[in-house]
Amino acid sequence: MNVRADSLLYWEDFTPGEVVEMGRHTFAEDEIIAFAQQFDPQPFHTDPAAARQSIFGGLIASGWHTCAIGMRLMVQNYIGRAASAGSPGVENIRWLAPVRPGDTIRYRRVILEARPSGSRPDLGLVRSRSEALNQRGEIVMTMEGWGMFRRRPAGAQ
Amino acid sequence: MSPPAFDYYWEDFPVGQVRDMGRHTFTEQEIVAFGRQYDRQRFHVDPEAARETLFGGLIASGWHTCAVAMRGMCDAYLARSACVGSPGLDSLKWLKPVRPGDEIAFRARVLEVRPSSSRPGLGLVKFLWDAVDRSGEQVLAMEGWQLFERRANPDR
Repeated sequence: MNVRADSLLYWEDFTPGEVVEMGRHTFAEDEIIAFAQQFDPQPFHTDPAAARQSIFGGLIASGWHTCAIGMRLMVQNYIGRAASAGSPGVENIRWLAPVRPGDTIRYRRVILEARPSGSRPDLGLVRSRSEALNQRGEIVMTMEGWGMFRRRPAGAQ
Repeated sequence: MSPPAFDYYWEDFPVGQVRDMGRHTFTEQEIVAFGRQYDRQRFHVDPEAARETLFGGLIASGWHTCAVAMRGMCDAYLARSACVGSPGLDSLKWLKPVRPGDEIAFRARVLEVRPSSSRPGLGLVKFLWDAVDRSGEQVLAMEGWQLFERRANPDR
C-alpha cells in the first residue's frame, strides 16, 4: 500500500487493481463443529460420522464460518486501521469448494473500484472482490462487496 | 423401500411459500462476544468507543446477523430437509444496524425453483431470507440458492 504501515487508512488509500493479502487460517475440526453447533447445525458441519455418509464424504466447515474467519483476518490485517464506516452488503458469495478440517485457507482482496459517496461528501465507497484459497491453490470462496470509508480530512497524514 | 429420512425435499418448496424462521433478541453481551471473535471493529466490540462512530452506539456485526439467520433457518426447516448445501448467495444486504435489545424476526420466501440440469436427483431453490425489527423495518435481506435432493417417488 502507498501509505505508512502505522497510519490510518482513508478512502483515498484504496487503489483499484491493488491486491492485498489478508492472512491465513487453518480450520481445526473442533472449531468447525463449535461454530456449526451454534449457528449452522447440519450433520455435515457437526457430526464427522454422519458427514462421511453425506454427499460431501466428510466434515466440512459452514460457509458462514469461512466468511467470519475472512472478516476476522480482514480486520486484523487490513481495515482494522482504516476509517471504516461499515458496509451496505456483499454480492455473489460463492462457496466453490468445501473447507475441511486441517485445510489452511488464505484470504486476499482485490480492489475493483473506488468512488466518492453521492450523498455524504465525507465518505467514499470501495468495491472489492475477496477470494479464499486452500493449500492446493483452489479457490474455495469468492464474494464482491462495497465498503464505506471516511475521506482524508485536510491536513491528515 | 425405507421411508423418507427427511421432512422436506426439493418438491416441498413451492414458489411463493413463506416460512417463519423464528425471532432472536440480540444482547449487548453476545454482540460484543461475536465481534471480539470475528469482527473486532470498535462499533462491534466497545460500547463507549461506538458512541463516537457514525453509528452512534454499538451495533451487531453483519456476519452475526447472518449467522443467527442461518441458525433460524436450520431450526425452521433446513436440519430436517434433504439439503445438500448451497452454491452461494446472489446478494446480501445489511439494510439497518442491529442494536442491543433489538428483537429481530427472520423469515424465508421461495422465489424460484428448478431441477438441477447436471444432477437429475437434485433440485435448486432460490430463497429470499430476510429479517425485520419490531417496527417492521428490514435489517437484512439475502437472496441465494439451496440444493435439495428430490423425492425418489413423487407420490410419496
